[in-house]
Amino acid sequence: MKLVCLGLNHETAPVEVRECFALSESEISEEGKLLIEDPAVAEGVVLSTCNRTEYYAVIEDGGVQHLENWVCSQRNYEGTREGVFYYYESRRAAEHLCRVASGMNSMVLGETEIFGQVKKAYQAALTGGTTSGILNKLFQRAFGVGKRVRTQTGIQEGATSVAGAAVELAEQVFGKLKGSSVMVVGAGEMSRQTAQALQSRGASSVIVTNRSFPAAEKLAAEIGGGAVGFDDWQNSLEKIDVLISSTSAPHFVVKPRDIEAVRRKRKFRPLIMVDIAVPRDIDPEVGEIEEVYLYDIDTLQGMASRARTRRLEQLKICEGIIDEELTKAALLGLE
Amino acid sequence: MEMAYLIGATILAAAGAVFGWRARGDEGHGHRAFWWMVGAFVCQLLFLGIRGELRGQCPLDDLGEICLFLAWSLTFFYLVTGTTYRLSLLGVFTAPVVVVLQLVTLFPGALDANPVRAEVVDPWRESHAAFSVLSYGALTLASVAGVMFLVLNRRLKSLRFSGGMMTGMPSVSRLVEAMARIALVGWILLTIGVVSGLLMENGEVNVHLVVATVTWVLYAVLLGVYFVRGLPGRYLAWGLIVLFILSLTVFSKI
Repeated sequence: MKLVCLGLNHETAPVEVRECFALSESEISEEGKLLIEDPAVAEGVVLSTCNRTEYYAVIEDGGVQHLENWVCSQRNYEGTREGVFYYYESRRAAEHLCRVASGMNSMVLGETEIFGQVKKAYQAALTGGTTSGILNKLFQRAFGVGKRVRTQTGIQEGATSVAGAAVELAEQVFGKLKGSSVMVVGAGEMSRQTAQALQSRGASSVIVTNRSFPAAEKLAAEIGGGAVGFDDWQNSLEKIDVLISSTSAPHFVVKPRDIEAVRRKRKFRPLIMVDIAVPRDIDPEVGEIEEVYLYDIDTLQGMASRARTRRLEQLKICEGIIDEELTKAALLGLE
Repeated sequence: MEMAYLIGATILAAAGAVFGWRARGDEGHGHRAFWWMVGAFVCQLLFLGIRGELRGQCPLDDLGEICLFLAWSLTFFYLVTGTTYRLSLLGVFTAPVVVVLQLVTLFPGALDANPVRAEVVDPWRESHAAFSVLSYGALTLASVAGVMFLVLNRRLKSLRFSGGMMTGMPSVSRLVEAMARIALVGWILLTIGVVSGLLMENGEVNVHLVVATVTWVLYAVLLGVYFVRGLPGRYLAWGLIVLFILSLTVFSKI
């Protein structure tokens, strides 16, 4: 019997193929049970996220093609298989699981959500009784590796997206964002992403303004905020902590006098302003105001790019941890 | 016996410094440093209690006692100012400063081996000395917070986000809040110190008292403007730093 991993992910398969193999949380346990009903399979864990579906199994030697056929028939997949699936066995399969659990194989390098998804997949297999000696020990070891990678390396440090960088800066200025207020000027996609990223970290109130009021109302409804008219947005400046601007205006929308007019009313509280528009929406002179922290798209993209580089630099250390942990564990099925 | 308490306080504060450094920015482990500092605080109180008994008054008569009183004051503010402060660089650096002050107290000759017991005790003089040292501790911390704010503000404004200094730095808002809150506590204690000074027996209006009163008024104006009208963080920070330097001249006139 041999440990194998058969899977497909965002690097090998386009979304129209991935969606054929995608399984919901409730389906993965059932899929695992069906898998071990096959006489060639002794143990099995099925992992399915939006970017990958993977089958970890302990199977008879030479049973990989059999497993691939079984998977395709289960999902009624009749498309091309060439280059879609990847396959690892023994130690390489174990290393792959450790990389997946540590976020090293994710679309956003070092993302943390995958760790919980692997845990859920294993839990479903455990509940379904589809694991035994080899996979139990392997997954426990992979969780240990994931924790070590998270705590001992910088693979998760820094925001790797523009929205994430804006949140990071806002937290440096305000600490926890719980209860903070955000104003979105312009109803574009980047504004929506950034506002949602701030909301996910606790920002409680969002005000949207746009030249087209229906578009402002639509975005406000989508993210659970309120809309104000474009000729009236300055009146809301008094209450907000973060302003995100992303309009397509060819000139500055936010000028120093807009902020100067409300400084006393704001009692000189810090105000973070994120300008993600090109051409810029916020006059750079606004950043000269004492309590204003102004950042443009270049700053945010630079931060995200540096974070991605730093994460890539951590990969070697992560690989060292995986090697050390798997050698130490001397797991069965890896020979 | 008091030396045992002093050594104990120093060891506990050193442990607090180590655990505080390791837990910086991590709320989940901040309590470890906190309890070491609580232990140090208790030992400091026991030491000061014994010295107070020996002196028959507030123990502020030699270099060792003044340093220990100041260490106690810093520890007190470390414990009461809140988690955010304790886990920040500001908090992390308090414990080592306490250790250094206590090491000075332990230095041979810093403490009178045979302290003279006061024959006449003027409670106003006692209050003046004790509250002034306490306020000095708070105002020191407020100005240190001011320096940290200026560093952080400059980095955020000039887009320099990386570097070890940024790790464990509190947020801008928290620093402004900490500056104002600690300075307010310091000012209240200074108020009691100044009033006590004015009520001392044989107290005469001297340069020390005049400068202390002017300092007190300036702190009142700065804090009043901040709390009533509002003030950009940078102005508050500079105000606290300048006034702290001024307050040093007051102490040099004792």
